[in-house]
Amino acid sequence: MKAAPSPLPPQRFEAGTPNIAGAITLAAAIDYVSAIGIETIGAHEQALLARATRALGEIPGVRIVGTARHKAAILSFLVEGIHPHDLGTILDEEGVAIRTGHHCAMPLMTRYGIAGTARASFALYNDFADIDVLVDAIRKAQKLFGTRGTHDTPPG
Amino acid sequence: MTHHRDDQATDARHDALRELYQEVIFDHNRSPRNFHLMPDATHQAEGYNPLCGDQLTVYLQIADELVQAASFMGQGCAICTASASLMTEVIKGKPVEEVEALFHDFHALLTTPATERSARDFGKLEVLAGVREFPARVKCATLPWHTLHNAINGGPDTARTE
Repeated sequence: MKAAPSPLPPQRFEAGTPNIAGAITLAAAIDYVSAIGIETIGAHEQALLARATRALGEIPGVRIVGTARHKAAILSFLVEGIHPHDLGTILDEEGVAIRTGHHCAMPLMTRYGIAGTARASFALYNDFADIDVLVDAIRKAQKLFGTRGTHDTPPG
Repeated sequence: MTHHRDDQATDARHDALRELYQEVIFDHNRSPRNFHLMPDATHQAEGYNPLCGDQLTVYLQIADELVQAASFMGQGCAICTASASLMTEVIKGKPVEEVEALFHDFHALLTTPATERSARDFGKLEVLAGVREFPARVKCATLPWHTLHNAINGGPDTARTE
């Protein structure tokens, strides 16, 4: 067998198959986002965030964590009497996928003195109806846990 | 963010949720038993799942090869707290050897299909069997038991189940 050609570094160390699929996918994703428009997407996400912030703020026993004026379309929150993991499992059963726990930011959780948070994220593919499902699911969790949601007063 | 499953599947999952969150679980979560420090413990160990934040210390008094007393402190979700609380109730007064066997059987209860489970009567621990349907939550229920196992065997490391 003849020796394989040995290029100079750094090519010498670039063994294996390059991430061709990744590059093609990235190009497709950029085309997709460009066709819709970054600003359109941003506006949609901010509308969802504003609506969700208002809706969750109206649920007794729900505390929103992180209220910076300029933030991405994610909503961290706590539900009184329900650990974020228990909440995550119940919401999952209602068809709502959220992330729970430290979010790889344990020092921040320690700073706030909390065990973790529940966190919903909004993106281009979400709509206002998704927020309604989220709100209903949180109320169901409160009902299941027998916390405040069962005896809250009607708005007014 | 949302999925719309067909009604039958949704009902089945809601039954699983009810099976997971039984009243006994809520009761032990609200008022955990043996939830205190034990200054005169002969054995103790810490358990911590850093990704999810569940953290507890298990304390034991072991004499004459018997678990004379068991308690725990810490914070966690309802499943972890209830599991720890039930565990301290169940192991009190049992021979260490039997407690170790129970640790292994309980672990199998949560991690093997219902059809393959042993004939053992798990008594009040049975309420945790529903965790099997929620693979992501098995680590919550087993953390106290792994911590117990370390306490008995004097393992130097913090127990982890994630």
